[in-house]
Amino acid sequence: MIAIAIAVIIATYSKASSYGSFADAKKANTDIQIIGHLDKQKELYYDARKDANYFSFYVRDTDKMECKVIYTGAPLQDFKRSEQIVLTGHMEGNEFHARKILMKCPSKYKQDKVETTANTSKI
Amino acid sequence: MDTAFKGEHLLPGHLGQFFIILSFGSALLAAISYFFAASEKNDPNSSWKRIARYSFFVNTISVVGIGVCLFYIIYNHLFEYHYAWEHSSKSLPVYYIISSYWEGQEGSFWLWCFWQAVLGNVLVWKAKSWESPVMAVICLSQALLASMLLGVQVFGARIGSSPFILLRDALDLKASAPIFAARPDLYKNYLSYITDGNGLNPLLQNYWMVIHPPTLFLGFASMVVPFAYAIAGLWQKRYKEWVQPAISYALFAVMVLGTGVIMGSFWAYVSLNFGGFWAWDPVENAALIPWLTLIGAVHVMIVYKNTGHSYFTATFLVLISFILVLYASFLTRSGILGDTSVHAFTDLGMFWHLVVDVVVFLIIAIVLVVIRWKELPINKKEEDTYSREFWMFVGAVFMALSCLQLVIVTSIPVWNSIFGTNIAPPNNPVTLYNVFQAGFAVVVTLLTGITQFLKYKKTDSSRVLITGAIYLVLAAVITSLVVYVSGIYHIRVVFSLVMLGAVYTILSNIKVFTDALKGKIKLAGSAVAHIGFGLILVGAVIAAGTSKVVSINNTGEQYSADFAKRNDPRENIMLYKNQPLKMGDYLVTYFGDSISMPNHYFKVDYKLMGDDGKVKEEFVLKPNSQANKKMGLVSSPDTKHYFLHDLYTHVTMAPIRYEEDDPTGGGGAAHSEANDDQNYDAPIAHEVAVGDTIRFRDGYIVLTGLDKSAKVENITLGQNDVAVGAQLKVVSNGKIYDAEPIFMLKDKRQFDFARKVEDAGLKLRFSRVLPDKAKVEISVYQQPESKKSYIVMKAIEFPYINFFWSGTIIMVIGFLMSIFRRNKELKTV
Repeated sequence: MIAIAIAVIIATYSKASSYGSFADAKKANTDIQIIGHLDKQKELYYDARKDANYFSFYVRDTDKMECKVIYTGAPLQDFKRSEQIVLTGHMEGNEFHARKILMKCPSKYKQDKVETTANTSKI
Repeated sequence: MDTAFKGEHLLPGHLGQFFIILSFGSALLAAISYFFAASEKNDPNSSWKRIARYSFFVNTISVVGIGVCLFYIIYNHLFEYHYAWEHSSKSLPVYYIISSYWEGQEGSFWLWCFWQAVLGNVLVWKAKSWESPVMAVICLSQALLASMLLGVQVFGARIGSSPFILLRDALDLKASAPIFAARPDLYKNYLSYITDGNGLNPLLQNYWMVIHPPTLFLGFASMVVPFAYAIAGLWQKRYKEWVQPAISYALFAVMVLGTGVIMGSFWAYVSLNFGGFWAWDPVENAALIPWLTLIGAVHVMIVYKNTGHSYFTATFLVLISFILVLYASFLTRSGILGDTSVHAFTDLGMFWHLVVDVVVFLIIAIVLVVIRWKELPINKKEEDTYSREFWMFVGAVFMALSCLQLVIVTSIPVWNSIFGTNIAPPNNPVTLYNVFQAGFAVVVTLLTGITQFLKYKKTDSSRVLITGAIYLVLAAVITSLVVYVSGIYHIRVVFSLVMLGAVYTILSNIKVFTDALKGKIKLAGSAVAHIGFGLILVGAVIAAGTSKVVSINNTGEQYSADFAKRNDPRENIMLYKNQPLKMGDYLVTYFGDSISMPNHYFKVDYKLMGDDGKVKEEFVLKPNSQANKKMGLVSSPDTKHYFLHDLYTHVTMAPIRYEEDDPTGGGGAAHSEANDDQNYDAPIAHEVAVGDTIRFRDGYIVLTGLDKSAKVENITLGQNDVAVGAQLKVVSNGKIYDAEPIFMLKDKRQFDFARKVEDAGLKLRFSRVLPDKAKVEISVYQQPESKKSYIVMKAIEFPYINFFWSGTIIMVIGFLMSIFRRNKELKTV
């Protein structure tokens, strides 16, 4: 039993990797996970008429390096509002091809902006 | 101290807060009194016990009181309370008010508290000699839960988070709403500016979200009961007796928690766009882990009850199951899963509070086990290898080990924060979990099958080997058929082995079940539950292993040659309105919309084409999206359910308008006309008389008549004013629409009101009256091809998924039967 338990732990950790950066992704040939922020200044490109499975955007990783990211699929819900995203994928030339995107949107649960509606009738 | 604010209702909040404090205090008092009552064993009706019962009664009342106050606040849209403002809105229907009730952490803590109070009352009524020690543990848990809701400041730190906090206290209104900073005099009127709340996340607006959380939390809450019995057994040195009553409660907890977890999975399947029923998300794992350990515990408890073996394992698994429930609530509520989970809560500032909750019960469990270690009835005698208990024990331990893997991987963010490391979770978590868990499932299911042929203590080995082997051969034959037909041989071998194990489990339990039918039906519970469990695995393996994306699309522009090769297949297709497209065996057409605010339903017609080119079957699916201003485009799938498979359709992208915009268009919105015209090609004016036909790209328009008494909403006509409507019949792509643009003379000025035929991509204006020619002028605006409406969607086929759902129902029935059986045993012993 203990042997199995140890085998489980070792096998699990052999599969685990570290979060990396775009610089790491250039070196590595395998899939890598990158934590970064969406560059909201730059264009988010998706045109379903041209290709319904091509979505590109720019991400700045934790080392402040920016890279174009391409995702084979449609844009995710509320993508523009994401505060932090985790990308899984690999580098292809100067573009990062993401296989999986995970967004963190605290705003979805915690909203700090109060919307006020001018309600003149009551004043 | 407070300045008076206009329009606030402070009473329900004050009352609610009073109930929170009362529930915390009374639970604590009950815990202490039960503790002393448990120590006075000789006096079954001691004054400690009376105090304990009264305070627990007060606790129940106050927990209900908290619920009533919170409901009152949300139901009446009292947005001066942060909770109501954040989680609900005025447009929410009543049944979703119930879901918004537990969208937040505070509401779900309350739900947990409530169920624990209900269970506590059952125990006061039923537990007899166990009441004091068991209730002492439960009241302690109740006090800790209530403390999560306190929201009071102690030495500068806020303890818990109260659902009754006011909006103006929770947020800095002056900072977030500039109007109050600019004009402080308006601040005391702030409520009149806050006319609506944030509303409920559209994904939670689903009836499963009304019943899934209560079921899940009843499951979590009932896990405390077997734990309390195990603690009481150690504490009171009643090592042998505690197992008997605890089995029933453990079965109940396993049944309810299992149902809750599967309900969540069903919700994800029908309303989320995960593209499946299980994603191994940390939040899902967190609920699954204690379920698996308690299943293991139930089996070992039965072993102990029948043979006296495995006392320590039974106690250990029961104790760890509840600790893991608390750990799960720490994982999901502390915000620690932020990077790895899609839907964990964010931190409410209760990180350490949640840690304390886990640690308190962990320490109680460890200390008691250590103190009593020498006295524990650990059976030194080796079990017989041909006994049922030996293999049940092995199976249960394997089940617990499978959890070990889940715990380790799910907790990666916890290891990172403890050790300061930066480990990323596995790149392919789903594959990793699937393969690992499948490996454990093979062992567990094969053992579930084989133990059915064994007896407790000692079995005649040769007979067992023969019947067991016959069934195994039978199972292998059926499995190879299933594997061949369903196509799971395409995926890893381990999944075929799971299938073998599952089929073996089903077969051997059918045998047990038919034997039970002849004799004692009450023994059939476990067989039924095992059959259900086997069916769940069969359904899960086939549905997850062979689900295929139907909407494969290779028509997109090639952005780079390598792109398509190295990436996942292109899973989304785009459909222009009314333009059929071949998708797998289907011909699909997006042909219409129906809008019931805030949902926008896309009508997609499916025609199943036979080889002869004829339509074999036709149906319409209506996936929907909500263009929610706060949360973006939120889509829910629609699924065609067949007996043997499901076809799942989900809109990933659609250019639809946001809720505030008028979806019907037209109207008298003159100021935006100029902008709107940009969406169309340059208009073409036609001079027509009644009966004339106008041709356009996709069809023709007939002027059928003029309506002299046309009316325009909100405009009253004077004596000299005229409004005329042009009654138009539009035929586009073989479909007929009606439209009536209006021409108006009011106060000697000309106006006209355009009408749109969205489906045909047309806007029509009655632009002039030409009395000398007895004609009128109709201007036709056509949408260019590129502005035509379209949807991007994804379709997935899930074969045999009904096994998964029906297996769940059968398993629950099996649990129910077992509970009745164990309760009967209780009365006779």
